[in-house]
Amino acid sequence: MIGVVVARLLGAIPTLLLVSLITFAILHLIPGDPAVVMAGLSATPQDVAQIRSDLGLDQPLLGQLVHWYAGLLHGNLGRSLLLGQDVLEAILQRLPVTLSLSLYGLVLTLLIGVAGGVLAALKQNTIVDQAAMIGAMIGISMPSFFFAPLMVLVFAVHFGWLPSGGYVNFIDSPLGWLRAATLPAVSLALLQVGLLARITRSTMLEVLRQDYVRTARAKGLSGMSVVGKHALANAMIPITTVVGIAISLLLSGSVVIETIFSVPGIGQLLTQAVLNRDYPLVQGGLLVLTTVLVLVNIAVDVAYAAMDPRVRLGG
Amino acid sequence: MTRSAILLLTAVASIGTASAAPFACPKKGGTMVFGQEANLNSLDQQASNTISTRNVAMNIFEALLTRSEDNQTIGDLADSWTESPDKLTYTFKLRSGVHFHNGKLLTSADVVASFDRYSKVGLERSNLANVDKWDAPDADTFVIHMKQAQPTFLESMSSFSVPIVIFPAEFKDDPALRLHTIGTGPFMLDEFVPGGFVRLKRFDAYSPNTHYEQRSGFGGYKVACLDTVTVRIVTEPGARVAGLQTGELQAVEDVPATNLADLKKNKDITLLPLANWWIQITLPNVQKPPTDNVYFRQAVQAALNMDEIMDAATDGNYKLNVGFQFPGRPGYTDAGKETYNQHDPAKAKALLAKAGYKGEPVTILTNKDYTSMYNAAVVQAEEMKAVGINAEIKVVDWPTSIQMYLRGDTGWNYFHTGWGTQPALGALSTMAFFAPPNASYRPDAGKDDPDVVKLWNDMNNLPDEAGRQDAFVKLQALVLERAYAVPFGSLTKVQAVRSNVKGFVPFRIPRFANVWVE
Repeated sequence: MIGVVVARLLGAIPTLLLVSLITFAILHLIPGDPAVVMAGLSATPQDVAQIRSDLGLDQPLLGQLVHWYAGLLHGNLGRSLLLGQDVLEAILQRLPVTLSLSLYGLVLTLLIGVAGGVLAALKQNTIVDQAAMIGAMIGISMPSFFFAPLMVLVFAVHFGWLPSGGYVNFIDSPLGWLRAATLPAVSLALLQVGLLARITRSTMLEVLRQDYVRTARAKGLSGMSVVGKHALANAMIPITTVVGIAISLLLSGSVVIETIFSVPGIGQLLTQAVLNRDYPLVQGGLLVLTTVLVLVNIAVDVAYAAMDPRVRLGG
Repeated sequence: MTRSAILLLTAVASIGTASAAPFACPKKGGTMVFGQEANLNSLDQQASNTISTRNVAMNIFEALLTRSEDNQTIGDLADSWTESPDKLTYTFKLRSGVHFHNGKLLTSADVVASFDRYSKVGLERSNLANVDKWDAPDADTFVIHMKQAQPTFLESMSSFSVPIVIFPAEFKDDPALRLHTIGTGPFMLDEFVPGGFVRLKRFDAYSPNTHYEQRSGFGGYKVACLDTVTVRIVTEPGARVAGLQTGELQAVEDVPATNLADLKKNKDITLLPLANWWIQITLPNVQKPPTDNVYFRQAVQAALNMDEIMDAATDGNYKLNVGFQFPGRPGYTDAGKETYNQHDPAKAKALLAKAGYKGEPVTILTNKDYTSMYNAAVVQAEEMKAVGINAEIKVVDWPTSIQMYLRGDTGWNYFHTGWGTQPALGALSTMAFFAPPNASYRPDAGKDDPDVVKLWNDMNNLPDEAGRQDAFVKLQALVLERAYAVPFGSLTKVQAVRSNVKGFVPFRIPRFANVWVE
């Protein structure tokens, strides 16, 4: 198993290199000059040229690319043009924020999504099923940029229960973190909850009709045991697939949610980087995010193998 | 010694004997959280020209000279200064007893180091182009020697766009954007979480400028009443309003117009309109047909209804304004007013005929990053269509937009922007847009407009202030007459505070000194 995981990790390297190459190409293909952004409209051409030279933007593109890859080999993602800070340092400052929100969102997704889906399947064609699926449909349909401000209006402005924005480090204050992260995490989880609930319901319905479930019931096992041990365990493969997708969506969804809730995470950082054409920061940020997503995919593959002996990683 | 000490008018005016009691905090202590609209990339005030940096750093750092409430040049760390009759030497005496946030006493060696660094990494180091060298004959004196006289040098030096802020000499080699955040201002850095917030705390050893009794502009008698000020990055307008309503934020900048009516009814919130935040403006591409034709540009100018444009751009938060300064400012003039807000379709059509316009497409370049620019462009296009101009809008993002603007050959005819900092700095900074060596400058059909260049040179080089002002009046009239720019009006930005916040007066950059919470 370990050998296969290592092989998968090595196999991901070309993917990461390709992603960084595409990012580099796209960034330099789109118009917008970071030197102009920094200098402003009132600058002289000499000011702009000086900034371009200071930032190394006057070098040939191929040279810039080779320089970036050479730095990458040494674990150096370059220096942010606008922050003046090491890209890796800037990313590592913010990545835990995004990961903690995503993790919170994932926990909510799993708890509510799986529970809702199972409940809907068990109570098929009842009002519980319909209510759960209407809720799931709302979750899938409602855009987070609409849902999030709505939550702020209700829970922060109207009731005053939760803060309207900002972020508190978990280490500084776990309760403060919970209060600050709840609205963003719920907003992030909304879509995933809906998606997972629907998948869980349909998978569970399929599994619940299987012979072995009927057999388990005939043996006199309790309903909880039948559902938990036999049905849900066998429904986990497609659910795990969706969870893998959900993690990707949670990470990418942070771009919008972090802006709305003023959370200093990697989503907000990358948004600013793109708007300011901070090439090294965008390249480095996307590389790190892609790495996280590749790792998630490998973890999902490993989880398949662990849950279902029929799945062979090496195959 | 040929140098005769001439105390500048501004220095005479501003440095008087304090007759009234200086400002004292009605209440000391407490905290304030300020919701800032833009992300903060760095606190290096020498290497960043963003408003978001100034919002914070101008409360931490100070310069030799700065601007007063009415935009006059005043001393901040400079106690006094003299100009030699030949305008080739400026001698500054430093205020005594000024300490840095690290406890070190300010001396002229720190000023030398700060100028040294600015000349290497300062974003507007071209402002020092006419300076030959600087030195420090003693610990309290700093001298600037010019290569050639520049009558506007002190005005340029007091600019708050990218000011030459003074820091301890030991940080002179700090790279661009990475200056240690240690200044002499009333607040010092406590914590900076990039993308999240900056917390400032009162600098207890701050020594206010006793030439004044009150805060004035970025200078004057400054006192930190609050224990801490947290500047929180809240880029989403709705979130800023929500934070203000819940009391999580005690002050915010840029309240959306759509929320103003509701907030007005809230007795816990005080709205603070900041008039003349920027000039909403469009600039023609004089190198591309048909906007290379002055009659065509004048036709567009004649067609426009500035009330309609500004109303759409600002949701009603605007003032009609002729030209490039604002009423009440020292340099304001309404010269060229006959060209403004004409809304005369008949005249526009006549000018179009005179220009020989045959229905060529006219591209208006704008963006949606700034809603006011987009909305202004939409109305401009419709008003141009109404007189028979084949107007079309091209929408790109802001960085793309300014890059296209700076290259005249990218297929646009009108570029939409807002001028904020430059008009706030004065006529000289604003009119620089129309003259070399500004990056925006694009001479008509590849040739300088000699009339513009002459008046611009007069604005810079005439020895007396009256003569320079007269040159500005003529230059504004000329620029408007030849329609090198179409200013629509001035946009009002609304700031807001919780009603228990006192002493917060809207200014170009929020000032946290002399502000207290009841």
